[in-house]
Amino acid sequence: MSMVSLTVNSRPLRADVEPRTNLADFLRDSHDLTGTHLGCEHGVCGACTVIVDGEPVRSCITYAVACENAQVTTIEGLNDDEVAGELRAAFTREHGLQCGYCTPGMIVSARDVVLRMPDASEHEIRVAMSGNLCRCTGYVGIVRAIRSVIVERKARGAAPRADLRTALGPVGSGHAGAFAGGADKTADAPPARIASPVSRAATPRETAKLDADFVPQTSFPQSFVVAHPVDVVWDFFGRVDEVAACLPGASLVGTPTPEHVEGQIRVKVGPMVAEFQGVADISRDDARHAGRISGSGRDTRSNSATRGLIGYTLTPVEDGRATRVDVSIGYTLTGMLAQFGRSGLVQDIAGRLVSAFVQNLEARLGQGEGAPAAPVVTELNAGSLVYSVIVSRLKELWRKIAG
Amino acid sequence: MKPVRFDYERPVEIGAALALMQDEGRVVKIIAGGQSLGPMLNMRLVQPELLVDITAIPALKRIEDTGSDLIVGACVTHADFEDRRVPDVTAGALAGVARGIAYRAVRNRGTVGGSLTHADPSADWISILSAVGARVILRSASGVREVAVEDYMLGALAADLNPGELLEAVRIPKCSASARWGYFKSCRKTGEFAHAIGAVLVDPDRGVFRAVMGATETRPILVIDRAALFGASGFSTGAAEEVAQAAGMGDLLDRRTHAVALRRAFEQADAA
Ligand SMILES: Cc1cc2nc3c(=O)[nH]c(=O)nc-3n(C[C@H](O)[C@H](O)[C@H](O)COP(=O)(O)OP(=O)(O)OC[C@H]3O[C@@H](n4cnc5c(N)ncnc54)[C@H](O)[C@@H]3O)c2cc1C
Ligand code: FES
Ligand code: FES
Repeated sequence: MSMVSLTVNSRPLRADVEPRTNLADFLRDSHDLTGTHLGCEHGVCGACTVIVDGEPVRSCITYAVACENAQVTTIEGLNDDEVAGELRAAFTREHGLQCGYCTPGMIVSARDVVLRMPDASEHEIRVAMSGNLCRCTGYVGIVRAIRSVIVERKARGAAPRADLRTALGPVGSGHAGAFAGGADKTADAPPARIASPVSRAATPRETAKLDADFVPQTSFPQSFVVAHPVDVVWDFFGRVDEVAACLPGASLVGTPTPEHVEGQIRVKVGPMVAEFQGVADISRDDARHAGRISGSGRDTRSNSATRGLIGYTLTPVEDGRATRVDVSIGYTLTGMLAQFGRSGLVQDIAGRLVSAFVQNLEARLGQGEGAPAAPVVTELNAGSLVYSVIVSRLKELWRKIAG
Repeated sequence: MKPVRFDYERPVEIGAALALMQDEGRVVKIIAGGQSLGPMLNMRLVQPELLVDITAIPALKRIEDTGSDLIVGACVTHADFEDRRVPDVTAGALAGVARGIAYRAVRNRGTVGGSLTHADPSADWISILSAVGARVILRSASGVREVAVEDYMLGALAADLNPGELLEAVRIPKCSASARWGYFKSCRKTGEFAHAIGAVLVDPDRGVFRAVMGATETRPILVIDRAALFGASGFSTGAAEEVAQAAGMGDLLDRRTHAVALRRAFEQADAA
């Protein structure tokens, strides 16, 4: 716990809170200032917008400790504020609210627009207010209310904002000195930490059922060339454990059969680490040199799940000396990770996985049978130095394929 | 949706922050504005043991004019650019782009250093700062190095930042009076991350031509050879599509969208 002091609605407030307490929870839970609402808790909806050092700020993604000694104004502190009073009247008149959930954030953002953009047109108001979502009104009344306040203030020559910010850096920062040791280690309850891999392996694995009619939400192709004949590559792809050993971060549970495999894959992307545990069914068509892998997995840490369908075909190239592997990757991602799993990002990550896989595959095949080489790339950590090597290799492959 | 418990430290000097980052016994994360890290913490996609808040370090909010460049501290915010608390050296390009990043409440806390290091390909700073030819200054206990902004992103959510390294500042070259810029962000909703970005800086007096196709799946595509994009009859969308394809953009619709975004950026630059 750490003692945090803020000036809220002109009153000094203190509370002993954890560093992870966001400003909204500090206001609501420690001080009953429940006018600040929480909607999405990731910065998108605007319901939690409050005023810090005179500027609107998302209180759901701003930690209270990070605003030590700052001036905070919530909707409760705007009772006697001139612009907020005009906005309240206008919202009432223009039907700018229905359930009221979005309204505290709306008023805070609208007040900023009125003071900062005294000539705003309807279009400019809409753009400036686009970070505040309302499920009820359809925005027409809200925009009209704000516009009417702007027009009325202009007509009577009301002064625009005088106290313009001069300080640089995140609003709320810079009011307090160093802070050391907000150590939660001393707290009574031990910090909630990630279960160690050991204890996790012991827990019974809950794996999503494979579903025969599964249609992936997103699909994309990947291709690469391996400098070995089709037969060699085809045989290798049949040895599930060796294939898994080439996938950075992948490990198997138990002994796989040619048709079924269980295991996990750990992927590190920027600051995120996901570890999917799952099962996959494999089918292979020897005549066509084509295979299909249908799998599903779950990352308990981020409470996300994925289902995937991977198809691959091998084609001889360079007079049979090399093999082109065409892979189609289809997947559906649900849960927290899906928030970040825009298809472009997933493709880039899959591209990196595949290129690391190819590198390891070539190293293995290069060693010949029976002498399993240590993988060249053991973890997909894009921040590492190996990455630049992978990038240039991938480019090289591209040139090979495209040219 | 609450983050895991973490410890928190707020140093006031870069040296102290670098020392905290050396802690090998704990998972240490830097936090600046928290506008990208905050959502990930709330969703528990990131579970640090120690957060080092770098926003109380005055050196990271500093602005320095070296004569040829403007050096802007990593913790300077999008709103600082928008409101021109950061002096304009790019014919208004940076202020103009800053205005379209996210929403005002996010811009009031989100920092340029955080945005570049978060390395979302769809983010705005990576594209426009590549177009103006900016560089990042990276500091670690063992010294300082500089990297061009377009090279700082290695791939989606991956920056060229070694363990124990901090982004200290961004070096922005000053444009001449002849400079023109254009920026087109294709997105369905204002304040959203872009699906495609075109960013252009043309500065004849300095002999600079820089065109960027941003918001790709990975790093931005930078073109400095005018001939690769312009034919006898002006900007060629077809040529831009070829450049995108050569850079690995596999999807036709993607290539078209990016080529058109770039064309619109050039149109804006021409109109200026
Ligand atoms: C609703 C919403 C909409 C958004 N829309 C857009 C948009 O349209 N365009 C856009 O570009 N961005 C958008 N963003 C992102 C926003 O711009 C973020 O502010 C920015 O990406 C991160 O800056 P930050 O200071 O908040 O960094 P933080 O969240 O504090 O940190 C981000 C990452 O960078 C690291 N880091 C931060 N500073 C440093 C440093 N100096 N040295 C080393 N590592 C560092 C952190 O460890 C973390 O991994 C949006 C954000 C939200 C919440
Ligand atoms: S709750 Fe903060 S923006 Fe939605
Ligand atoms: S009034 Fe109900 S969400 Fe806006």
